[in-house]
Amino acid sequence: MRNLGILVIAGFAILALALPVFAEQYVTWGKDGSCVLTTLDGEKIEFAPGELGTLFGPGKQPFKGKKIAITVNAAGPKGGICGPLYRFRPAWEELTGAKLDIVEIPFAEHYTKVMNDLRLGIGQYDGFMTGSFWYGDLVGGNYIIPVDDYIKDPRFPKWDPNSMPNSLRTLYSWGGKMYGVLNDADGQVLYYRKDILTDAKWREAFKKEYKYDLPVPPKTWDQVLDIAKFFNGKDWNKDGEPDSGIVLHPKVGEQGMFHFMSLSAPFVYLPGPKVDKAHNLYWFDPETMEPLINSPGHVKALEFLLELAKTGPKAQVGWSLGEAWDYFLRGKSIFVFSWGDVGALVQDTSRSKVKGKIGASILPGCYEVYDRSKGKFVKLDKPNIVGNTTGGSWHGVISRLSKNPDVVYSLLALHATKPVSLWNASRGWTGVDPGYKYQFLPPEGTANLKDYLAEGWSENDIREYLKAYHDNFYAEHVVTYLRIPGAFEYFTTLDQNLSAAMSGQLTPKAALDKTAKQWDEITDRLGRAQQLKLYQEAIGYKK
Amino acid sequence: MSQAEGGVRALWKSKIKFAFLIPAVVWVLIFTIFPLIYSLRMSFFNIRIGQGDVFIGLTNFARVFTNEQARSAALVTLKIVVVAVAVELVLGLALAVLFNRVMPARGLLRTILTMPLFATPIAIGYLFFTIFYEEGGLINGLIPWKVPWLSDPGLAALSISMVDIWQWTPFCFLVFLAALQGLSDELYEAAMIEASSGWQIFRYITLPLIQPTIVIVLLLRLAEALKLFDIPFSLTGGGPGTATQVYSLFTYRTGLRFFDLGFASALSYVMLVVVMIIVSFFFRHLRQIYD
Repeated sequence: MRNLGILVIAGFAILALALPVFAEQYVTWGKDGSCVLTTLDGEKIEFAPGELGTLFGPGKQPFKGKKIAITVNAAGPKGGICGPLYRFRPAWEELTGAKLDIVEIPFAEHYTKVMNDLRLGIGQYDGFMTGSFWYGDLVGGNYIIPVDDYIKDPRFPKWDPNSMPNSLRTLYSWGGKMYGVLNDADGQVLYYRKDILTDAKWREAFKKEYKYDLPVPPKTWDQVLDIAKFFNGKDWNKDGEPDSGIVLHPKVGEQGMFHFMSLSAPFVYLPGPKVDKAHNLYWFDPETMEPLINSPGHVKALEFLLELAKTGPKAQVGWSLGEAWDYFLRGKSIFVFSWGDVGALVQDTSRSKVKGKIGASILPGCYEVYDRSKGKFVKLDKPNIVGNTTGGSWHGVISRLSKNPDVVYSLLALHATKPVSLWNASRGWTGVDPGYKYQFLPPEGTANLKDYLAEGWSENDIREYLKAYHDNFYAEHVVTYLRIPGAFEYFTTLDQNLSAAMSGQLTPKAALDKTAKQWDEITDRLGRAQQLKLYQEAIGYKK
Repeated sequence: MSQAEGGVRALWKSKIKFAFLIPAVVWVLIFTIFPLIYSLRMSFFNIRIGQGDVFIGLTNFARVFTNEQARSAALVTLKIVVVAVAVELVLGLALAVLFNRVMPARGLLRTILTMPLFATPIAIGYLFFTIFYEEGGLINGLIPWKVPWLSDPGLAALSISMVDIWQWTPFCFLVFLAALQGLSDELYEAAMIEASSGWQIFRYITLPLIQPTIVIVLLLRLAEALKLFDIPFSLTGGGPGTATQVYSLFTYRTGLRFFDLGFASALSYVMLVVVMIIVSFFFRHLRQIYD
């Protein structure tokens, strides 16, 4: 009996000694102040001395006892945007002493739940991983707080807003103030089958038919159309079935409007020295809020998109991202233009047959662009290449209702540090796409090729992919982004009418005229004067 | 016990029954009457959460009839509902007649047949997405053509009707079967003596006798089907374009996606009135049958 008692006491003693070891397994401090964070999967990320700020250190847990809730698009513990929060949660909790509640909300409900929380003053959530198109509502409603002072504060993990290209930094700011904390960089680029387009046999056949050399990569949409037409219906992948020229993801409610935005930009966006009634515009007249979505440039772009769609599978009208990407990954189409996720998915050989075979480039341009001041299309000497920041560029912002903004910022800033940001970009599955200097390879940036190769990237693919994204985000002209209140509703009506055009219910002109009419109704309902003011702020328009 | 005490006790006894009703009354007031009145109020306002409400009279109701999307959603709903409910009634009745006879494994088959009824519509929507999927989905895998089930506007609407038929025919079947089994055998024996054909017996005896049940089933299905939401939401997302954007889906988007709560309330009230008119019409018809 006495022995049993000793055994029990010894057991408790061992447990008591072991507990702190288990409890502090995600953060290891060096004597020089450096730190190694361990992710949930056991990967180790190194931070230089001071990189994590002065707030944290051995034995310090400055936010002990506090708890914050962050909303994010539901994708699971290893899903896009959501996954990194899970991977670094234990380390951050150990650093700060605080607890993190990751509130996963389906994409379709996320905006609604966040806006309900804010508009009703509930304050259930402390921060949100938002899409940039929410800014009009978030800043317009004064629901989130700027982070400029936090960025300068030496107590917090360090990240450099200057590592962001202007195109992305604009999305994270409003009225000269920074509201977002560096994370994702969304934009669409053209992916193509480099192995097929550089094949001498196909190049010869193409030249014979189209009387010019097959350009790799294509520089104009007309060239894309020619190539897509040439390959469509041929069994170029030798699987015994006819294959496609392009694959699209225009399913209604699944971001089809973003496809159109990216493609139509060079037809519509007339570059100029500053934003005025004719130049650097895409959405609305900056003085009247008259919708431009049914301009001749937009209509021509939609007619072109319909023509291009004919070189893809018929079923794609009902396809969302997953189905279209899968089609490209199975080696069934020459082109897809989409987000950074495609480049990462190509590397996953369990579902991709095209690893090491792809090329990527900034989206092509066109030689004719609509000039509003002249009321006609004008011809250019070189293609009008327009970069884009299409998508969400999902990143964290702090709710004005949060009782613990410091705690929220410490979490967002940790994810914005260079080591974590690099980790995210090289993993691919994180949904955090590359867009910052240190994520690009030399000469464009300072990243190390070895880091990408270690994660299983094909050297050809990663070089093509990062170059394409660099060219896109650092393009001379980047189409403006819609960030005014009601952006979601404007996008939805455009999405529905585009889908109607794609499925043959409406002509391109009718679909865009209908969109313009609906946009006017939305603008009137939300208040034209207020919308105009916020639109001017969002695009930097000054008389 | 004095007379006064007896009076109080009697009064207490007679009132105590009302006390038991209080929870139910409170429940109905809070969860039915209050939301009803509050949403009616909302329908007369331009609601801007966090920015104050502006009274706009009947504007939202006028929008219900002038808004192109609302009209289109109503029309889409009507088309889907008419096709689905008609087929459900006919098919349900045919199956009930079949199962009303003695046949092998009837109990087992009846159980299998009623299973769709207990499935969650949203899950059914996603299940049928894989079945109707045009590249390698179950149906297109079995037939030699690539039918654009979900990308063609007409076929997408038909697909939704088909899923609704798959789920709700068992309901019609069960109710009709119960009605058929409640009919007296003597009537049929008498009819057989008159040497009527099977069709004549069905036409002149069975059908008139179960007519009240048919009206009830039709009424219930119409009222339910007009609120159709989950299946188009998960199967087509209302597309392509707005080809399958049913009225409830449009109302949901208006209220909870675009926060146009006044208009969404007006849309809901118009739907409520339509359903009430349908119910009244059929109840009157039912009364005539019984009379």
